Amino acid sequence: MKKVLIGFHIIVFLILPLSLYAGVPQNTVEGHVNNVLNVLRDPAMKGDKAKKAKKEKVRSISEKMFDFNELSKRTLGMNWKSLNPDQQKEFLDLYKDILEDAYMDRIMSYSDEKVVFSKEIMLSDDTAEVQSNIITKKAEIPIYYRVILKDGEWRVYDVIIEGVSLIKNYRTQFREILANKSPEELLKVLRKKVGKA
Amino acid sequence: MKLITLTIGVFGLLALFLFGFSHESLALTITSSDQDQEIKSSQGYETLQVQEQPTQEPDKHIKKSDQEETLTEEEETVQIADPLYVWNKGMYYFNDKFYFWLLKPVSQGYSAVFPEGVRLSISNFYQNITTPIRFVNNLLQLKIKSAGNELLRFVMNTTFGVAGLGDFAKDKMDIKRHDEDLGQTFGHYGIGHGFYIVWPILGPSSLRDTTGYVGDLFLHPVSYITPIETAVGIDAHEKVNETSFHIGEYEDLKKAAIDPYISIRDAYAQHRKKKVEE
Repeated sequence: MKKVLIGFHIIVFLILPLSLYAGVPQNTVEGHVNNVLNVLRDPAMKGDKAKKAKKEKVRSISEKMFDFNELSKRTLGMNWKSLNPDQQKEFLDLYKDILEDAYMDRIMSYSDEKVVFSKEIMLSDDTAEVQSNIITKKAEIPIYYRVILKDGEWRVYDVIIEGVSLIKNYRTQFREILANKSPEELLKVLRKKVGKA
Repeated sequence: MKLITLTIGVFGLLALFLFGFSHESLALTITSSDQDQEIKSSQGYETLQVQEQPTQEPDKHIKKSDQEETLTEEEETVQIADPLYVWNKGMYYFNDKFYFWLLKPVSQGYSAVFPEGVRLSISNFYQNITTPIRFVNNLLQLKIKSAGNELLRFVMNTTFGVAGLGDFAKDKMDIKRHDEDLGQTFGHYGIGHGFYIVWPILGPSSLRDTTGYVGDLFLHPVSYITPIETAVGIDAHEKVNETSFHIGEYEDLKKAAIDPYISIRDAYAQHRKKKVEE
């Protein structure tokens, strides 16, 4: 009787952490993506006026979906430490603006391509990769989301499209700039890019 | 003894609850690979809402992780040497102008004349005739099954797909293309890029991939077409047809980049790395 009990306890303890998080990274990302798609497909929101409202909704979903702090930190990598806290904060805001400028139009031009989530792979205890495909008539475009668990919530810190990691691509660019310029000058470049110069 | 019974009870209930929970997420994971997305999404989100409740203060969140956490980094970037920087940058500007002044307007005019279905068939046709390249390179990498699939695709698409205009194998038999070229084959056996090189019109490449490209030309049917003007004409048509599906992508990339030249070079290196690993 006792042996059975011990075995039972062990099983329960083993299952506990697993069950809590099984499939959660994928469900989280998928939920956010579906929310965005629902906004874009909403037949009640047509025309230029609605476009602004749509953008606002997409923006608020992306605030929940992404961990922009983690994303900024990982983008700069070693160089993150060479920025003082104020600079880090400004960098984060500017970087977010740049990403939004770059991707909002692309998201808004979405036209009924199918998004299929295939699987999730745990990269470590608190990071995972959620894999999806956008299926167009021409081809399938693999889009992978890297997510990190913080305070019980999975948030995206990198997007990998056809093997090209967003944060790595920007890291290479920022590194080249920071190789012969100061962080302040980098911020100047970014301000100019988003039109805040 | 009573205590034990109680613990069993509590844990039993807990286990049941957790099993139910895990079972549900499992079911969700399975359905998510299904084609139809809409139904399951609302259900999936309910589970999520529960998870999202606790953190409602993003500002606090940022501050905390700034101070307490050490940097978790994935420092590895995909490096590619660029000793021909001056030439490459010149070619980058040339290709930029080539795209905006010639390729893009021509492709736009082209897609105004030919509907998407036609352009798709043409694209399939061009893909079909380059089967020898993919077949041989799959073999060279000992990917026997993929090589077999390429062969099967060729037979199916040439017959039932009507001379390769349709992708019968993908649509009806779910056999997908296995892109392999000689550059990837070199990479598969551990040969690195050498260095980055940008060609006029052809775009980003490397010493390794250019060598591979030239090698693959021997397996490309269009290479054997004479006179050479006809072959060039066919290549140009293929390029225009292909570009017609991708208008706007280069523009987006440029818009997103801080330094477009570096962004493209890095994207090339990352993309090819993935292709080699596949």
